[in-house]
Amino acid sequence: MSDKLRTRTNINKVIALSISWQRENLLARGLGLEHLRDLLLQLARPILRTGASLAYAGNWLEDEGNFTFDLLRLISAEQEDNSLGGPDTNIQLGLLYNHSAWPHYLKVTARIEAQWINCCRIVRITQQMAGICDPDFVPDQEATTESARSKFNGAICLSAMRRLTMSPLVLDIPDAPSILIPAIEARIIMGGKVEGFSGFMPGLFEEALVTLEHNKPLFILGGFGGGAQILADGILRSSGNYPSELGLEWHKEKSMNFARFLDETKNFNLPTNVDSSERAFKKLVNYLDKANSDVVSTLNTGLSTEDAIQLLTTSNPHQAVKLVRKGLIALGLLPSA
Amino acid sequence: MNIPEIFVLWHPSCPLGEIFARRINSWLRPGNGLGPQVYYRSLPAPGAPKNGLPPPLHGEYRTPTQIGEESASTKITNLQIVIALVDEHMVSDPTWRHWLSQLRTQGSSKRRAIIPVALDATAYNTPNELRELNFLRPAGLPLTNLNDLLVAYEKHRLNQKTSLEEHQQAETVDSVVRSLLKQLTETLTRLLLPRSKNEVIPSQLNAVDIAPPKVSIFLSHAKADGRVPAQRLRDYIYSQTQMAAFFDENDIAISSVFSKVLNYSLDSPTTAAMIAVRSARYAERPWCRREVSLFRKPQKVDNLSVGVGTNEQWRLHPLIVVEAMDDGCKSLGVPEFGNAPTVRWSTDIPDIEEQIVTRVIRDALLGTYHSALAASIPAEPGKLRLILNWLPDPTTLLHVIRNHPDQELQIIYPGQGLAGAELDILYEFFPQIWFYSFEEILS
Repeated sequence: MSDKLRTRTNINKVIALSISWQRENLLARGLGLEHLRDLLLQLARPILRTGASLAYAGNWLEDEGNFTFDLLRLISAEQEDNSLGGPDTNIQLGLLYNHSAWPHYLKVTARIEAQWINCCRIVRITQQMAGICDPDFVPDQEATTESARSKFNGAICLSAMRRLTMSPLVLDIPDAPSILIPAIEARIIMGGKVEGFSGFMPGLFEEALVTLEHNKPLFILGGFGGGAQILADGILRSSGNYPSELGLEWHKEKSMNFARFLDETKNFNLPTNVDSSERAFKKLVNYLDKANSDVVSTLNTGLSTEDAIQLLTTSNPHQAVKLVRKGLIALGLLPSA
Repeated sequence: MNIPEIFVLWHPSCPLGEIFARRINSWLRPGNGLGPQVYYRSLPAPGAPKNGLPPPLHGEYRTPTQIGEESASTKITNLQIVIALVDEHMVSDPTWRHWLSQLRTQGSSKRRAIIPVALDATAYNTPNELRELNFLRPAGLPLTNLNDLLVAYEKHRLNQKTSLEEHQQAETVDSVVRSLLKQLTETLTRLLLPRSKNEVIPSQLNAVDIAPPKVSIFLSHAKADGRVPAQRLRDYIYSQTQMAAFFDENDIAISSVFSKVLNYSLDSPTTAAMIAVRSARYAERPWCRREVSLFRKPQKVDNLSVGVGTNEQWRLHPLIVVEAMDDGCKSLGVPEFGNAPTVRWSTDIPDIEEQIVTRVIRDALLGTYHSALAASIPAEPGKLRLILNWLPDPTTLLHVIRNHPDQELQIIYPGQGLAGAELDILYEFFPQIWFYSFEEILS
């Protein structure tokens, strides 16, 4: 291993990437999937070279816009060969943490997990881990049904998964030492769909919310559309108002499925650590309000006010990468050049 | 020197536009941050009226509130190349017509070259300002049964299972794309490759009308078993391009005319490229090894001292290795090839010569671009920076660092950075060197 190439300053630190491709959003800004891949590589590689791990909650389908395999291939290329008993044999290298909530993890086969076991740790968030009580458990074989309980439990698990990523998590392994999953140290978000989600609120919003609640750095690349731009608009409020997508009513009007889901599950009990949709949207708006008056300490990115605002608005991928790196350096999560 | 940025324009209703744009991007940006930036302009910009225009080009002035965003990275560029994929939708849309005229006539802080591509016969009905330009005309257009072809192409691209008919349909689209890329590559050579100092290029560029610069392609081969591919490549270059091919007919030793021309060409500012036909006997032919060794010797093109820091700029001409060994043949390795890209020769691919020659010209374009970008890298006080226009490998690095034994220095190379495994090897061989990519330095 070369000290010039890699440091071990960030071992056991995890940086989350919430980045998704939405064709129209990007194309309207003159960019395509290729630009997003470039951006992801430019962000992820220097992070990995500090010994840190990445968290990305993508699925395991080989389709465009899912960056799970791009990240795995990158990690694979970055890992030294530590299989031959050389000096690096016992050094823990950065991994991809793929947090996966019930019932989504049921689709992850042993073969997939085995193929990528040296690059990736799949963290399954079960109904039990999500705080769902025994009588309300839905058996795995009924997970795909459209029953209200199944959808409700799925939403709870998604919510719990996002919350659990923010604290260290110990996974008990039968007859073997337990595994520690480190907490997420900072999150970088970009794009993100705000319609057609399956939880209590759009995933990107909830990820931003839990990051803000834990006062961890939140890099919002708002110039590329999607949920991140809505959050940026919610902070900057250049039009004077909050974007309507930040209100529960907008989502109920926009999506009959979501309105029906809320109606069907209104009498179900939520675990104490999971917020209802209404409460979650209110909390998010409060944080955006706070960021509006003090963007530096609320987003906590290590950037100056001017740079933080530029990151919220720029649609230039190089500028965005430059600013995120600058923030990570200021936070001590990347070495200075 | 030209540092271009490229914009591909297509109308949102053009069914081929996005396919072509993405292929242009992946051709000119072959991965890991190599090559000039390519941006798209198609869908209306956020906040634009329905059927409005895409975002302005960098620095383009539309209205006082609509000026294309510039940043430090886009300000480095000094040439905008606008590739307009012109079809009936673009021609019939008054908004786009107006924009294209504006792009052609409006002054800009950067030189701007427009390369129109005719996707159908209506393309020649563009506004006068564009009509006077020469259009690229990809072979095979217009396509019939376009929807079926596009479905098949998409399945093929995503590695989905295709029927024989679908495979042929995908190949039909692919051949049009290849034709476009070939013509585009040749046009870009006129804009980007080095020329004699006396030649004056107008500020409003009509790319296709500029005389092509001098490009010399050297064909290195062993006469005993590599002659057939070399001859086919030579014939293609003579008949289908305006480049010069140098082909050592006589297979004689290194004192030949071939080597003199090679030496002369490497010392001149014009562009040289080599295609080495690697047959089974190639490795045991001393003059073949000498040719490739000579060609792969980097050249120092500039030495700039700023303050107490020094930048040395180095150039390497592109080499493509054509793997032409018969099945089951044995041969020694050729270390001089270093990390040069390799293409497998096949008599079953009818346009294999075109693909190889187009690829080596593309690599020459990228090399020139990276040389231009290298010139913009600042010196660092107290440091010696050796700036390369190629991805480093041990063989070429040995030449570059020869004059700096045991000296701590920085090697700056194109792109976003090598993979960890590659850098590990380089650091093991060259512990006194620090390696940085252009992206790391410029961002």
